[in-house]
Amino acid sequence: MFKVSLRSLLSHKLRLVLTAISIILGVTFVSGTLVLTDTIRNTFEGVLSNVDKGVAVQVKGPAPATAAGRLSGASLPLPESVLAQVRKVSGVADAVGTVERSGVSLLSNGQVVGGTDQRTLLGLNWVSDPQLTTFELTSGTAPRTADDVVINARTATDGHLVVGQQIQVSFEASAAQTFVISGIATFGGQNSIASEGFALFTLPTAESLLEANSTFDVIDVSAQSGVTDLQLRDRVAAALSGSSVQVQTGAQAASQTEQNAVTEINLFIGTPLLVFAFIAVFVGSFLIANTFSILVAQRTQELALLRALGATRGQVFTEVITEATLTGIFASVVGFLVGIVVADGLIHIFSSSAKLSVQLNALIVSLLVGTIITVIAAVAPARRATRIAPVAALRQAEPEIQGLPRTRIGAGLVLFLGGTAGLLQSLFTASAAAGPNLEVLGLSVLAIFLGTALLAPILVRPVATVLGWPARLRGAPGRLAGENARRNPRRTALTSAALMIGLALVTAVAVITASLEASINQSIDGTVRAQLVVLDEGSGGFSPEVATTLRQDPKLADISEIRGTDVLVGDIATGVTGFDTGNIGRVLTFSMTAGSAASIATTTNTTIVDSTEAASENIHVGGTVTMTFANGDKVNMSVGGIYTPDALISGFLVSLDTLNPHLTTARDADIALNPAPGVSLPTAQASLLNDLRAYPQLSGLTRTQYKNLISAGLNTFLNLIYVLLGLAIFIAVVGIVNTLALSVLERTRELGLLRAVGMTRGQTREMVAWESVIIALLGAVLGLAVGSGLGIALVSALHSDGISQTAVPGNNLILYAVAAGLFGIVAAIFPAIRASRVDILRAVTTE
Amino acid sequence: MPPLPAAAAAISIAARTVDAVKVYGRGDTAVRALDGITADFTAHQFTAIMGASGSGKSTLLHCLAGLDRLTAGQTFIGGYELGQLNDRQLTLLRREKVGFIFQSLNLVPTLNALDNILLPLTIAGRKPDPGVVDGVVQITGIGDRLRHRPSELSGGQQQRVAAARALVSRPEIIFADEPTGNLDSKASGELLGFLRKAVDDLGQTIVMVTHDAFAASHTDRVVFLADGRAVQEMRSPTTDSVLAVVRHLGE
Ligand SMILES: Nc1ncnc2c1ncn2[C@@H]1O[C@H](COP(=O)(O)OP(=O)(O)O)[C@@H](O)[C@H]1O
Ligand SMILES: [Mg+2]
Repeated sequence: MFKVSLRSLLSHKLRLVLTAISIILGVTFVSGTLVLTDTIRNTFEGVLSNVDKGVAVQVKGPAPATAAGRLSGASLPLPESVLAQVRKVSGVADAVGTVERSGVSLLSNGQVVGGTDQRTLLGLNWVSDPQLTTFELTSGTAPRTADDVVINARTATDGHLVVGQQIQVSFEASAAQTFVISGIATFGGQNSIASEGFALFTLPTAESLLEANSTFDVIDVSAQSGVTDLQLRDRVAAALSGSSVQVQTGAQAASQTEQNAVTEINLFIGTPLLVFAFIAVFVGSFLIANTFSILVAQRTQELALLRALGATRGQVFTEVITEATLTGIFASVVGFLVGIVVADGLIHIFSSSAKLSVQLNALIVSLLVGTIITVIAAVAPARRATRIAPVAALRQAEPEIQGLPRTRIGAGLVLFLGGTAGLLQSLFTASAAAGPNLEVLGLSVLAIFLGTALLAPILVRPVATVLGWPARLRGAPGRLAGENARRNPRRTALTSAALMIGLALVTAVAVITASLEASINQSIDGTVRAQLVVLDEGSGGFSPEVATTLRQDPKLADISEIRGTDVLVGDIATGVTGFDTGNIGRVLTFSMTAGSAASIATTTNTTIVDSTEAASENIHVGGTVTMTFANGDKVNMSVGGIYTPDALISGFLVSLDTLNPHLTTARDADIALNPAPGVSLPTAQASLLNDLRAYPQLSGLTRTQYKNLISAGLNTFLNLIYVLLGLAIFIAVVGIVNTLALSVLERTRELGLLRAVGMTRGQTREMVAWESVIIALLGAVLGLAVGSGLGIALVSALHSDGISQTAVPGNNLILYAVAAGLFGIVAAIFPAIRASRVDILRAVTTE
Repeated sequence: MPPLPAAAAAISIAARTVDAVKVYGRGDTAVRALDGITADFTAHQFTAIMGASGSGKSTLLHCLAGLDRLTAGQTFIGGYELGQLNDRQLTLLRREKVGFIFQSLNLVPTLNALDNILLPLTIAGRKPDPGVVDGVVQITGIGDRLRHRPSELSGGQQQRVAAARALVSRPEIIFADEPTGNLDSKASGELLGFLRKAVDDLGQTIVMVTHDAFAASHTDRVVFLADGRAVQEMRSPTTDSVLAVVRHLGE
């Protein structure tokens, strides 16, 4: 008897661990994300508390006119004269102006330090007043001569740069100048500013290198003793009244910066990671639901006995839910702790100086998410447990062969159809400006997944029959595997559905990226006439002097600069792109639905716009739109034409002559060009690359290379998605292991019988493996179908925005199905070994 | 399939044990379930093994059938010494030469009656001989139930399906462990009649463990066990003669 209890206990332990793993993994993701973002935020706050120490008041230029509805923070430059005005205000101890522009690259031996895809550094002037600076030298000296530069500690370590070393510095791909590293500094003790590097120069150097043209971006002011920050702020504001500059206390400025930083951290790190964490937990909930269903089925006799002995339904329900709650709490605590370890590891990879911040909030969220999900998932099995009739205690426990209740199919249909309707509604009725409602979109996808999971049992029989067909060719093991997969459609379906979710999302993303790639390729082949393009793979714009250089090359022609900027059209924030319209037909061709593209070449203050934007803003050829530029310029543009957008070209287009007067700094985004007449493409490209030697940040690509670059970028994105969804898929595979292990346990007798009548261990393992493969392939079939549907719906919604091609990447889908089959085999290893080791005698003797 | 080891001996002996010893556990708790049994089971005969509960009947059957291994001594089936075979060879031997009927839960619940009957052939990847299958189905009288799953069959029908399964691969020997143990007397009678017919009409060899004198009366020969030894033998048993021996042994 003891042996029996021990065995049951051991199998319980295994069961607990297998069940808990899914929740542990999901909660790990949640807690890791929370700890990571808390730590980043905390580090940033720590830095900022240093920053605002000595700054009583901060003056910034006016917010750009185009900032409506955007992240605040950016401001227009301040004229130098403002500094003099501020210094005269009574109570001011010191005031210093700072230029701060990102776009600085360090070059060494004609190469960008850290590689071309490296983020650029923030360029600033060195401030010597210790009250008004957050930078501290860790070695060397402050910049004193025009060619001194101080760089941040992390850039120095990563690039193996030392004090005294010569280095080339370039701002937005302007011609590189030689500097000497005079020192290495930290920012508030951190080796970078929120992982962005920095380079510090003397003020005159910063002014000229960063093209500030006698302006500042920020003026920091310290107060004489006895003057409060608020008093000083009001006095400065009064002195500057009449101009629209922004005046804040140091504390206000710091908290605004902090808020922007927090928004940005959440937007780019926290929220995306939490979405993937949620997906993992969601997939885990399927596993929980399945495990508890199987447990309830296996404990039918025990639970029926309880009922026969007088336990109420409520008590049986409570029994199951309590077990779920305990499992949930246990798993959440473990997941929370593992999450901290993972976050710690990640933080060490990115920045060793950050101190881990574990907040109570993270614990509470992790506990709630893990426990609530587990309990919700256990509700249905618990309710099923209450329906066990007491007489079941007297019956021989047979592994059940289930039917499907109608309510379930009904609920599945409602969820699936409702989700589909919600999805289409949110996608196709979305306004062009606001985009689809992401909450509705997310909930709809969730409903589709749940609906599919509920409906999946109907598909188990036919799909298992079709998929089981090749298995049957392998004789009895394959045959029996097919029967086993079908004997309990709900169990098989729920196990498959967990895998479906991960695969569906991967498939949807694959469809979207493939469609994007096809659309961009079509655009490159159709709209783009230029055979060569110059661009900066790392960051945004580059200096117009590049174009000037290229124009001197006789092997090149049609040099066409393309630059864009933010504008308000009416009160809608959007962008406008300007290009050299002199070469228009040889650089770009448009398919016009009205008016003519040449209109922007012949008349200034004329624009052409894509048909989608025109429709949504009610713009017509011959009409006028008012564009407000960042610097406040308001220009009436006449609409010269309407064109069909594609994946690369959309929005408002104007000539450079129209655009340039309204730009604070002229920066090219790309240069499109052609070989000069009679020059072959390879010769022209060789010459181009030679011209670009002085600008190692830039690449000169043929159209084919440009296409390859884009597909490489899309592939990188797809790989990132694989990694992020990997955990959800892994959890689903654990789910297959779990289901099979429990099934094997349940079928001990049957397995023993099969072994007794001559099934070899190998055949037994093969049988379990086939069942696993069938489950996994069912998940793949569902996932590929649902995912393709999702992807196609999303792409169709983007048709009017220029994503004109819908591409279903067949190779990828085949790959996913094959991968799913392999996952099935891997998942079967452990259960198959167990199955092949069942004790035949225990199976055939009646206890 | 690798060739089984060469045959050793035996012509009309379908199975044999020589000084078979089986010890469960060790030390103080060791149980000698078989204590040196030597016995032959003649081909084309229906043999019963009887004895008090715990006398070692099931253990003997399991060791004879290659489901379990002896502690000492030898068992032979069709000339193969089971102790010489590894797990895979034993499995193949069970598949090719041995049929089983257990007391209950004999069938695979996902397969219908016919598929259950054909299971050993399916596992072996052999094509069923339609004549043999029809014959077996005929004798068992479950022809109208072939498409039913086990859960839709009565206990007696299930046991007859199990018997048909044991027969269909025409094994050299069939072992049955209390096949009527869970059946009422009518169903028992039918099953025993069927087994008897398999021996008489098809020349099958059957060894059946039972504690039921009426069941034993259907056999050609009864081997009585007590404390892991073969203590007595009887040919052409009747219910009364068997009961007499059982009573005598019980004293
Ligand atoms: N797996 C086992 N472990 C320990 N003892 C066992 C085991 N199987 C059987 N026995 C013991 O061996 C003896 C013979 O058992 P068994 O062959 O099942 O008897 P029968 O079938 O005649 O009732 C009994 O004393 C039983 O308790
Ligand atoms: Mg027994």
